[in-house]
Amino acid sequence: MARTGWRAKRGRKAVAAVVFAVLGRGLVAAARLDERVRAEAASWPEDTVITLRIAPFGPQVSWRMGEGVLEYLGGAQVTPSLAVTFKSVDGALPLLVGMKSVLGAFAEHRATVAGDLALAMSFVRCLHIVEGYLFPDLMTRRILPRPAERRAGHLVAYGTLVFRRARLEGASS
Amino acid sequence: MIPDYYEFCNSTKIVSGARAIEHIGYELAALGASRPLVLTNAQLLELKVATIVIDALADTDAEVAGVYDAVPVDSSAAVVDDVARAYREAGADAIVAVGGGSVLDTAKGAMIVLTHGGSLMEHRGAESLLGRRAVTFIAIPTTAGTGSEVTSAAVIKDTDRHVKMGFTSLSLLPDVAILDPRLTVGLPPRLTASTAMDALTHAVESVSCVQANPLSDCYAKAAIGLIRDYLPVALDDPRSSKARLALANAALMAGAAFSNAMVGIVHAMGHAAGGVAGIPHGEAMSVLLPHGMAYNLDVACDRYGELLIDLAGVETHAATPAADRGAAAIGAVRSITALLHERTGLPVTLGEMGVQPEQIPDIARAALDDGAMSMNPKQPSYEELIDILKGAL
Ligand SMILES: [Fe+2]
Repeated sequence: MARTGWRAKRGRKAVAAVVFAVLGRGLVAAARLDERVRAEAASWPEDTVITLRIAPFGPQVSWRMGEGVLEYLGGAQVTPSLAVTFKSVDGALPLLVGMKSVLGAFAEHRATVAGDLALAMSFVRCLHIVEGYLFPDLMTRRILPRPAERRAGHLVAYGTLVFRRARLEGASS
Repeated sequence: MIPDYYEFCNSTKIVSGARAIEHIGYELAALGASRPLVLTNAQLLELKVATIVIDALADTDAEVAGVYDAVPVDSSAAVVDDVARAYREAGADAIVAVGGGSVLDTAKGAMIVLTHGGSLMEHRGAESLLGRRAVTFIAIPTTAGTGSEVTSAAVIKDTDRHVKMGFTSLSLLPDVAILDPRLTVGLPPRLTASTAMDALTHAVESVSCVQANPLSDCYAKAAIGLIRDYLPVALDDPRSSKARLALANAALMAGAAFSNAMVGIVHAMGHAAGGVAGIPHGEAMSVLLPHGMAYNLDVACDRYGELLIDLAGVETHAATPAADRGAAAIGAVRSITALLHERTGLPVTLGEMGVQPEQIPDIARAALDDGAMSMNPKQPSYEELIDILKGAL
């Protein structure tokens, strides 16, 4: 039986926060390494702020498109131009751990979108590509609309993630 | 068929039948409204279609706050703002929208602005509008196709920024939808056929899309049965109230089905073909439906097979082995489009509508980016789409 109660909920939110951090840096890395993500992000208007969050109190992760470069804003409080909000942490978790696709979550009304729906579609296409890097084929076969195609190797992508993470942590300490 | 999780909502009260519009006074009073703004277009007033509603309102406790008849075929954010202004100036407390998809979507846009303030642009999104709506809304469709009278979506153009704004929210569902055959008996045969094919496509796509659920299936299957039984009757006898009412109900039910279960590849290609080549929506649906079904067949065979009984009747269903019913359902759709081609001149190829081979790549690219594509049970590549569209040319 699934655990209930505030303690279990807090655990699920902690998992979500970790995945948001990985996804957050993963999207930035993919925007540099993968020309498909780069092309999608290049179509986003300057100063677009995209937030992915869990209602009602978070966690959340945001990105900003500034001077043609996608920037990771972490869990900072921002005013998003596009907000994708999961109605509950329980609805978000299957997606965040690679058990369900982003589109599957939308299909099940697990998330709301505030902002331009065309931009939201572009953002979802990017998330699919990032999931292709983060999750093994065994999982992506089930959750992605078509087989994951990796333009940069897993290792390079992870390397970039680790590098950026180290640099960010170095900068903040 | 039971999905792991689904949501379904159709909160709109349906008032359907001969002279149903005459109950509009009661419906407004029941909702606590007494000063409706009638929203329509000049053509519907000229054809004396909107007049039926205005005359019915004259004989009620309600006082018509105004008649806004300047909704264009392609509505826009500017029109929505103007309607909201007219509503406020007239001191109205309800919108009675009489028209096709454009009039109904304009009403939905105006309700967003009137309820949430600011500009329409700020409220774009899916399921993001919260709280109760400030406007009573009665929808009276004058075509039997789009199903907008029971859908929670609206698409409105921002002509300044050249973008289409999409909205989905349960707060866009009308309080009441009135179906009265007097509003559709005058529709010409070809328009009757193409709007019915739009409704048929909503029903068929809702069944194969990823959000299909037991409730949306009920609506979709009932809609298909009504179209099969009554579209030929409406073509034989355009003034048949019974056939018109049946088709209006079919469009409404198909609307409720796809509002909850969504549409897929056929609409994605149709929206794209409309944008690139300007072909009318219903006619695009009629041409593309069998092609989209054929593409989905390997993943949706059982689902389409279930529709054979509604598309072709119980005898055909019983005489077809279970494994062949999906393909037979596509055959049944093809015989309907062939019949409509013969009876009304409805096209069966994109070429007949003037689509040029060199436009196919643009249509394919736009279809891939269309929101409807993401709800299809199977995601095509660009090359696959080119093949499907060439097949329909
Ligand atoms: Fe349609």
